[in-house]
Amino acid sequence: MIRARQLILGFILLLGMTSLAAANSGRLVADLSKSNIAITSGFHGTDLLLFGAVDGAAGDDILVVISGPPTDIAQRRKANRAGIWINVETNIWQKVPSLYTILATSPIDKIASPKTLASLAIGTNNIGLEIAAKTPIAGQSKPTANEFIAALQTNMANIDLWPDQTGNVTLTENALFRAEVKLPANILSGTYDVRVLQFRNGVAISEDITNLYINKGGLSAGIYNFAHNYSALYGIFAILFAVAAGWLAAAAFRRS
Amino acid sequence: MLASMYIYLPIAEISMHIGIIIGLGGGVGFLSGLFGVGGGFLMTPLLIFFGIPPAVAVATEANQIVASSVSGGLAHMRRGNVDFKMGGILLLGGVVGSSFGVMLFASLREMGQIDLVIKLSYVVFLGIIGFLMLLESVRTILRTRRPGGRKTKLHQHNWLHGLPLKMRFRRSKLYISALLPLAIGAFVGVLAAIMGVGGGFIMVPAMIYLLGMPTSIVVGTSLFQIIFVTANVTFLQSVQTQTVDFMLAGLLLFGAVIGAQFGTRASALLRGEQLRGLLALMVLAVCIKLGFDLALRPDHLFSVELLK
Repeated sequence: MIRARQLILGFILLLGMTSLAAANSGRLVADLSKSNIAITSGFHGTDLLLFGAVDGAAGDDILVVISGPPTDIAQRRKANRAGIWINVETNIWQKVPSLYTILATSPIDKIASPKTLASLAIGTNNIGLEIAAKTPIAGQSKPTANEFIAALQTNMANIDLWPDQTGNVTLTENALFRAEVKLPANILSGTYDVRVLQFRNGVAISEDITNLYINKGGLSAGIYNFAHNYSALYGIFAILFAVAAGWLAAAAFRRS
Repeated sequence: MLASMYIYLPIAEISMHIGIIIGLGGGVGFLSGLFGVGGGFLMTPLLIFFGIPPAVAVATEANQIVASSVSGGLAHMRRGNVDFKMGGILLLGGVVGSSFGVMLFASLREMGQIDLVIKLSYVVFLGIIGFLMLLESVRTILRTRRPGGRKTKLHQHNWLHGLPLKMRFRRSKLYISALLPLAIGAFVGVLAAIMGVGGGFIMVPAMIYLLGMPTSIVVGTSLFQIIFVTANVTFLQSVQTQTVDFMLAGLLLFGAVIGAQFGTRASALLRGEQLRGLLALMVLAVCIKLGFDLALRPDHLFSVELLK
């Protein structure tokens, strides 16, 4: 009786171990050199290191997706009216990632098929921009929508928030990977998702998600919070500061 | 070391080299000392050119002009070159105009047309003022070369002097309708709010040619008005749009104070009409640059603005 129970227990244990081993066949752990970043007065963008270990095989690829806090974006199109270029059309994008960047060991079209990437929501073509557009894309022909999406991608790349590639991932001995991540100076504060995926023969076999927190800190946070939480007081303070500075300058000027 | 010279501007939310900010302040300060102008009309377009969001540039520049007009205005007050009664009426109009201007600014910003309106205002006003100044200084230079030129009367009586609500301005030696300075003050107030300027470049000619004030008290009186109007703009923009960047204003100010000292010294080396001619050319250059920006096909027809 006892023996039978032990046998069953052993069997369950064995089962558990084999299923763990199955998971292990694509195990991946990733971390960041710093996961809390403060935007202080000296902030001019920052570099950080993403590193980790993977149970990999030859030919495996590592792909990293960093996406930032959602924001609304006003996109405007200019046209020539009476000889000058003015904004004639506005489209509001709702809750799209303010930062979106992909790092990988190979060009992403070599890692997986467009269909696979779409099913994993990888790439700015696959993050539901069609839905995020409020006007005028809703109810418009597809070419127009595509034109707006392509322009958004270009504009965001130009201001470094959706850069094409911030760096490459290196995979050593099919076990250790590392990537230099550059974050731009105009990055928003908030929580960022860092997704790390392992691909084998065009299929994602394991994934790890970690978070990156960016906050305003120091004097710059103080001034920002002052301006937003006590805006009338901030205005009065700005005026008094200017009056004092002007008076001091006049006094210094008179003496010289 | 150089990399650490970047400073993150908390309201503009961009990182900028500290040398560029102080250099801008110093350069514009030098020119304002040289020509005796406020410099807002140069600084605001320059800030926009360097990537400061237009709304932040305009509101922050108002804050900086408070300081520069205090330091300039104090000197004029000490010499008694301020007509406080006239200044008070101009100010009354200015407060109304600038309050309206800030509201207009906020709604234009929402409509996505604020950049256009800022640039168009610059092209129109700088174009007119620059052209008139150039004409005047060229005429003066020609006249001094040919002695015996005619002297025109400062101001003539016209329909403007028939308006009601007449008031006596003893310091200005004028008996005119209060509606006139009220309207000028209001108009300049709107411009101050939208263009991020003190508006001296409009107000000074208006005071001389429309009101007929003696030139000796024109600058001091306009500075007196500008102090309070730009303070009003600073306050309202702080409350309504939170676009006054105190750190940016402080650094610009630091450069401007130093630059203005050198500018004032340099101005002694040039004659008045030469100075005015140079200033006119500079005003026209800014006008032409902004005009081209509006007329040339932009590289990207689409633009984005992150809304928070």
